[in-house]
Amino acid sequence: MTSPLVEIRGLEKRFDLSGSLLEQITFKNGRFQRKQEAVHAINGVDLQVQKGEALCVVGESGCGKSTVARTVMGLLSPSAGEVHYGGSRIDNLKGRDVLPYRRKMQMIFQNPYASLNPRMTIQQTLEEPIHFHRPELARSEVREKVQEVMQSVGIDPDWGSRFGHEFSGGQRQRIAIARALAVDPEFIVADEPISALDVSIQAQVLNLLMEAQETRNLTYLFITHDLAVVEHFGTRVAVMYLGRVCELADTKTLFAEPRHPYTQALLSAIPKLEDDRPNYIRLQGEVPTPVNLPSGCVFHGRCPYANERCRQEIPQLIATDGGAQVACHAVEEGRL
Amino acid sequence: MENNTPLLEVKDLDVRFAVRGGDLTALRGISFSLDKGERLGLVGESGAGKSVAAFSILNLIARPGYIAGGQILFEGRDLAAMSERELRKIRGNRIAMIFQDPMMTLNPVLSIGTQMVEAIKAHRRISTKAARDIAVGKLRKVQIPSPEKRLDQYPHELSGGMRQRVIIAIALLLDPEIIVADEPTTALDVTIQAEIMALLLDLCEQENVALMLITHDLGVVSQVTQRMLVMYSGRIIEQGPTREIINDAQHPYTQGLINALPQMGEPGARLFQIPGSMPSLKNVPTGCPFHPRCDFATDQCRQTMPEYVRSGNVDVACYEVSNLIEQEKNMQEAGS
Repeated sequence: MTSPLVEIRGLEKRFDLSGSLLEQITFKNGRFQRKQEAVHAINGVDLQVQKGEALCVVGESGCGKSTVARTVMGLLSPSAGEVHYGGSRIDNLKGRDVLPYRRKMQMIFQNPYASLNPRMTIQQTLEEPIHFHRPELARSEVREKVQEVMQSVGIDPDWGSRFGHEFSGGQRQRIAIARALAVDPEFIVADEPISALDVSIQAQVLNLLMEAQETRNLTYLFITHDLAVVEHFGTRVAVMYLGRVCELADTKTLFAEPRHPYTQALLSAIPKLEDDRPNYIRLQGEVPTPVNLPSGCVFHGRCPYANERCRQEIPQLIATDGGAQVACHAVEEGRL
Repeated sequence: MENNTPLLEVKDLDVRFAVRGGDLTALRGISFSLDKGERLGLVGESGAGKSVAAFSILNLIARPGYIAGGQILFEGRDLAAMSERELRKIRGNRIAMIFQDPMMTLNPVLSIGTQMVEAIKAHRRISTKAARDIAVGKLRKVQIPSPEKRLDQYPHELSGGMRQRVIIAIALLLDPEIIVADEPTTALDVTIQAEIMALLLDLCEQENVALMLITHDLGVVSQVTQRMLVMYSGRIIEQGPTREIINDAQHPYTQGLINALPQMGEPGARLFQIPGSMPSLKNVPTGCPFHPRCDFATDQCRQTMPEYVRSGNVDVACYEVSNLIEQEKNMQEAGS
């Protein structure tokens, strides 16, 4: 197997809730006590993104999928663990050393109404990253490049003098994609790029992303909650629950034969056109808070197959016969 | 049906918004009916007029919007012509509404119990004790654990799914004949969406309540409703039995909407896409509003608005469909 383009090793991210030292200290029963609390957004995630693939990360709100995306991009620094790009570690780089990687890695955000600067014209928005990353280019070359990306995402280059608010949601997302493509990246992190769009527009943007992947030989890390999109778009899928990956498999394998009880429930919850009634696996309870993580398997409180071992021991991702990697004691023991 | 008058009948409803430079027509000639206990889906993309249609049923269109023509007959009485006083007896009492965002619907500074008791007492002269008992009963009905305790909790203490259950309980408080639900699960995760939709469906069936479900999710419509309307640019372009439309959509827009879903395409292949986007209300094209995006558009489509024709049990507003029906008839006549 060739070495992966992007590799995440043992990634953890905690967000501190307790504030400064003075806010942490309380006086109770005649003694001072220090209390620290944190949101455990990611708890030990290992992922490899191979060149040319689209790795989809799916899960429900609060599972840590966006935090993974942001940590990979360097927008957040990990509490523990490493991020590697093309074989070299990038999460500890500072200042100028990061710049070459910033150019190779670009991000598309969920909300195109918030991700475009309302005071910049589209031309300015698209020129800025090129000026920044390739200062050697002459003005005319920059302009040519902008024309080229605008055409490739289906935005008329004559509209460059307009502002973001003059465009519809779908067009704005095209512009956001053009901005990511403008510096010829190799790797794109897309965080829910189509969730804010209408159904008919979603198809347009999804097609555009697939087209860009083919023509520009891109690699995607695609974050989404929409499993139907994953089935269509993804090469491989990682299902996350409460900051951990519970199943990692080829898209086909995962949808044909989901192994983890959470994946099974998640897949059954997608409303399908051929259904006459809601038809899904009912989970007990709700997602626990990431402040106080459950012991053992994070899913055990809602899992119909949980036993004593699940309550105590954290399951690791283990390869199964079907080719999927599943973090579940029940699957490992053959109970499921 | 025992008698032939439907519970709710909307006839030729026009809703306009008075803005500077003239009126915008948000709804044009909307006609549909809802029988007792029937579940009706209202589908369309943003800006199609789904929510305006829902709001106008309760005559909740706020200025500058106004009902410019048509009737909304509830049990034979016209809501569009009713005084505010009379309307208040119907809103929340006979026709209840569920909105998209549960946090916006619940008052954050009042306990759940206070809000529920308030709603009951606004319509019925009963003691607080009796009202609380009704509230507990309804909370139990929506499967909220330990409902007595919940009455004293505040909205922020509940999860998103729980809040939406409370909203459903509030809608059911006065045993309405109709529930209008405007995208009730859009803000929720898939697994919770599945639970809420199943709950809503069960309750409507048990209590024989009619449901008008507004959504953009065709999967949900297919699971929950018996009949559906497809809206585009303020018009109903197709209406009929849900199964018939999902399996064999007649209008090119409905076909496009269904085919654009990732679950309809071959994985990895390009999705079917409808070119362009919905026109804004400021410049609705002449003739059929869909013609600029339609593959079958002719000069007739560009000039005059198509009337409804019947194909099977489905009413469609499309010249292409009416021409096909005409051809079929001619062929049959020629054959005999």
